[in-house]
Amino acid sequence: MSFRRRLLLLFALTVLVSVAAVTGIVSAMARRAFDRANDERTAALVSQFRREFTRRGDDVRRRVQAASASAAAGQIAVAAAQSSPDYSSFLDAAQTLAEAQRLDFLEFADDRGTIISSAQWPAKFGYQERLAKTTLPAYAFLRDEETPSGTVLGLFAVHAISAGDHKVYAIGGTRLDRTFLSSLDLPAGMRVMLYPNLAGPIAPERLLTTGDPIANPQALAQLVQKVHITDHDESAVIHWDSGNDETVNAFPLMGANDKTLAILLVGSSRQIYTELRSEIRSAALFASGAGLLLAVLLSSIAAVRVTKPVEELANAAREVAAGNLDAQVTAHTNDELGVLADAFNRMTRDLIEHRERLVQAERVAAWRELARRLAHELKNPLFPLQLTVENLMRSREQSPQDFEDTFRESASTLLSEIANLKSIINRFSEFSKMPQPHLQEVLLRDLVAGVIHVYEAQFEKMKIRNETEFTDSQPVSADPDLLHRAISNLVLNAIDAMPEGGKLVLRTSRNGNTAIIEVGDTGTGLTSEECARLFTPYYTSKSHGTGLGLAIVQSIVSDHGGRISVKSQPGKGTTFIIELPVARQILADGTSA
Amino acid sequence: MLTQETMRRFNLLLLVASSVIWSVPANAATRPHYGGTVRVAMHETPQSLDPLSLAQVGVPNISRLLFDTLVVLDDRGFAQPALATTWQAEPGNQRWRLTLRSGVSFNDGANLEPTAVAASLRAANPDWKVLPVSDMIIVQTGEPHPNLPAELALPRNGIVHGNPQVSGTGPFAVSQYVAGKHLSLVANDQYWGGRPFVDSMEIDFGQTGQDQMTSLDLGRIDLAEVAPENIRRARAEGHTVQSSSPAELMALAFAMPPRNDEEIHLRNALALSIDMPAINNVVLQGGGEATGALLPNWLSGYGFLFARVQNTEFARTERTLGKQSGPLVLAYDSQDLVARTVAERVMLNARDAGITVQLTTNGHGDMALTRVPLPSLNTQTALTGVALALQLPMPSFGNGSANDLYSAEKTLLQSHRVIPLGYLRSGVALQPGIRNFNMSPDGAWQMSNVWLGSDKP
Repeated sequence: MSFRRRLLLLFALTVLVSVAAVTGIVSAMARRAFDRANDERTAALVSQFRREFTRRGDDVRRRVQAASASAAAGQIAVAAAQSSPDYSSFLDAAQTLAEAQRLDFLEFADDRGTIISSAQWPAKFGYQERLAKTTLPAYAFLRDEETPSGTVLGLFAVHAISAGDHKVYAIGGTRLDRTFLSSLDLPAGMRVMLYPNLAGPIAPERLLTTGDPIANPQALAQLVQKVHITDHDESAVIHWDSGNDETVNAFPLMGANDKTLAILLVGSSRQIYTELRSEIRSAALFASGAGLLLAVLLSSIAAVRVTKPVEELANAAREVAAGNLDAQVTAHTNDELGVLADAFNRMTRDLIEHRERLVQAERVAAWRELARRLAHELKNPLFPLQLTVENLMRSREQSPQDFEDTFRESASTLLSEIANLKSIINRFSEFSKMPQPHLQEVLLRDLVAGVIHVYEAQFEKMKIRNETEFTDSQPVSADPDLLHRAISNLVLNAIDAMPEGGKLVLRTSRNGNTAIIEVGDTGTGLTSEECARLFTPYYTSKSHGTGLGLAIVQSIVSDHGGRISVKSQPGKGTTFIIELPVARQILADGTSA
Repeated sequence: MLTQETMRRFNLLLLVASSVIWSVPANAATRPHYGGTVRVAMHETPQSLDPLSLAQVGVPNISRLLFDTLVVLDDRGFAQPALATTWQAEPGNQRWRLTLRSGVSFNDGANLEPTAVAASLRAANPDWKVLPVSDMIIVQTGEPHPNLPAELALPRNGIVHGNPQVSGTGPFAVSQYVAGKHLSLVANDQYWGGRPFVDSMEIDFGQTGQDQMTSLDLGRIDLAEVAPENIRRARAEGHTVQSSSPAELMALAFAMPPRNDEEIHLRNALALSIDMPAINNVVLQGGGEATGALLPNWLSGYGFLFARVQNTEFARTERTLGKQSGPLVLAYDSQDLVARTVAERVMLNARDAGITVQLTTNGHGDMALTRVPLPSLNTQTALTGVALALQLPMPSFGNGSANDLYSAEKTLLQSHRVIPLGYLRSGVALQPGIRNFNMSPDGAWQMSNVWLGSDKP
């Protein structure tokens, strides 16, 4: 991944993490604030409910007292005071009084618990009223009342009427129903539900609400069940089918017997919070998007500013590596990158100077070597020439009678040395005029076998054992004469390296599109310094030779598009490795380089 | 038999004699005299004045004002002449000959002819063959009908003329009728039994019991119906109240016969659980009589033999032998407040015995709280009518003896299709000025001899 991309990614990541962190913090704070406000509103509503409960309870108590103070109630009391009371004429009394006092429930019972008259269930006369036999609370209380249509929840009050030595109890109440809930002043987004915790299994459909009936009351079943079991306040977040969430706080409402008779459910819509959260998320998304865009923009600018000099440096370095030491970078700034650019430019300038110096030194050294070699090569035939001429002169002066013979011998020697001189001059001339290879299909194994055949007699004479290993059977594109000459030079070198015999190994192989020829000996070997200079023209490690042999080999291999290398260890032998391109397209085209 | 002319003369002589006797210091309150209007309020809302329709909606008293039957029953249930003066059954009791009263005319002016009588009876009894012969009609039934005269005395067999505007031979004629709301009647001057004392009657329909009593208290009406549960209170409040014998059966009628012994035990348990005396004393305010029979004891004479006493312990024992797969649904008339209270009491009593009863007002239940007015003062006709109303098997009376009647009723009760609860009285509250009003034991109004005293408000 490029430095620019990394920089861009880093910028984007930084923006995203920052936005996510801010979003999370803001969401958490919003949620805490919402929950706190919700708790406060719920507490206020519950308080309002309790106030309304108390107010209605007082109202019920007053109405029951009023019913107790009626003439009909007095007649009931008088009847109850009789030794054998007849209550048959009071069947409708409770109903009449209940209607007059706007009570949903009203019963009169004597101190034996016998119902004298019942408004909610007139037919219940003569049955037992369980409340008349208990300690009666002085305040209004919650009670589940049995009616012909089922058990209902009501707010009740009891008033005792004296009947001589006996008492008659007026037990009246009003239903705790929707009208009760409707009297509550509900803040926006809140609602109140009442679950009558009557006998039997939990049945959420009994739930009383202030507004429309709840579509899926079963969603509250678990919460109701929990309060039913624990008798403690509980709360839960309800996920309705409509997709809205609601925090529902449930409060048990106890009856006079401390039994949970109803559960007050205060629902607070989480829509505001949901919308707020949605807005926060939208804002976060927008900020993330904008931040990303900004990050891309800024990082691009920054990356361009930061990476452009670095890229220029990298490009320049690549050019230098490719050999272009003239590559220069422009220092745009005075910071570290500017210093780096200056240093680079200085380095390339130093490299150019150093290369020029090196080339100059090498050129001088080559000339010196050439001069030394030429001097050496020319000195060898010149010294016999000088001696021969001096011998002729001395013979002519000292023994003219032998001069003829001496002259013939000397002339022969002179001719020989002159021929030697010519030979030297020819080799130098030949090296300078190395011909271009004429490529054709060549089987390396045949070529190497041909070379071995030439030197077989010499191998035998020098006690050299030769080994061949040909694994390459495919032709290569090469000039067979030049290649034969190169391999012959290497074989001759190997023979020279094994004056006391040894083993010569010739191997051909293939590595992909490269044909490999190896010529190895078990001779004296070369030092690493000798290996480094081995292909320098006119360099030789031998006491004889022009030093052009391996230079010619390298020249031939190079002209074939290949390369030559050497592996050697002093005392163990040397192996030359020629690598040639197969150049099949050239073979197929039948063209030559 | 007395003719119409003879009766009219008798009435005139009676009036003249009365005038002479009480001419100087007389107590005007005891002297019958003609004139005046009697205003009546009723709860029912008849949509037609056809006697068959009137009988079906439970207002036979209106039918008796407008239409006569061939035969009437006296308080002992014996047939007495009306539009028919004599009757005779041929052997086998399938063919009856009835001689019609002569000189009788319908309120529309038509004479009472055998053909009109035959047509009227055929319309009310499609199974009968009724043939006019001279001054007689012959009624032929598919099966022996020893109680045909009693059946002919039923209000539904009132003789009508004309269609669709019906006319009768009764003591009053229709002067104005607004269906279901109001009926104005005028005295039939040509009535064969003698002109009624009052000149007219104004009858308002669809009045609740409370409205009727209020109207009575305000002097707007002269006669108000009093429900059985209000009879005691009306009397206690100082109203002049007349009541019938306990004549309206209140019973739990099962829709289906029991399917097995377990269901029989369940129904027995329910019957034993019901505290009918308490219902009568408190809910009905003594306006009835607890019973276990289908016919009231005062009519049959043996009703006490079917008396049933509440016994919750026995009921629970029976309940353990029975099987209840679901609640027993008890249907009652939502318009009948007393029925509601009785039904609720039945539910409570049943619960004490371990039986779950559920109430409904939609008319469809396992059983229904039913009220059946006594159809006739003739025992066999009455029992047949009750069985018909409760959809029980038709009783068989053998040779018509009292034992046969008892056996027939016992058979009906042992079908476990019905649990009789009690018989209810019917009552009317009258203004003090209404004189000579009588009520039959079965609750039928006797209006033809009513006259208005001077203290009428």
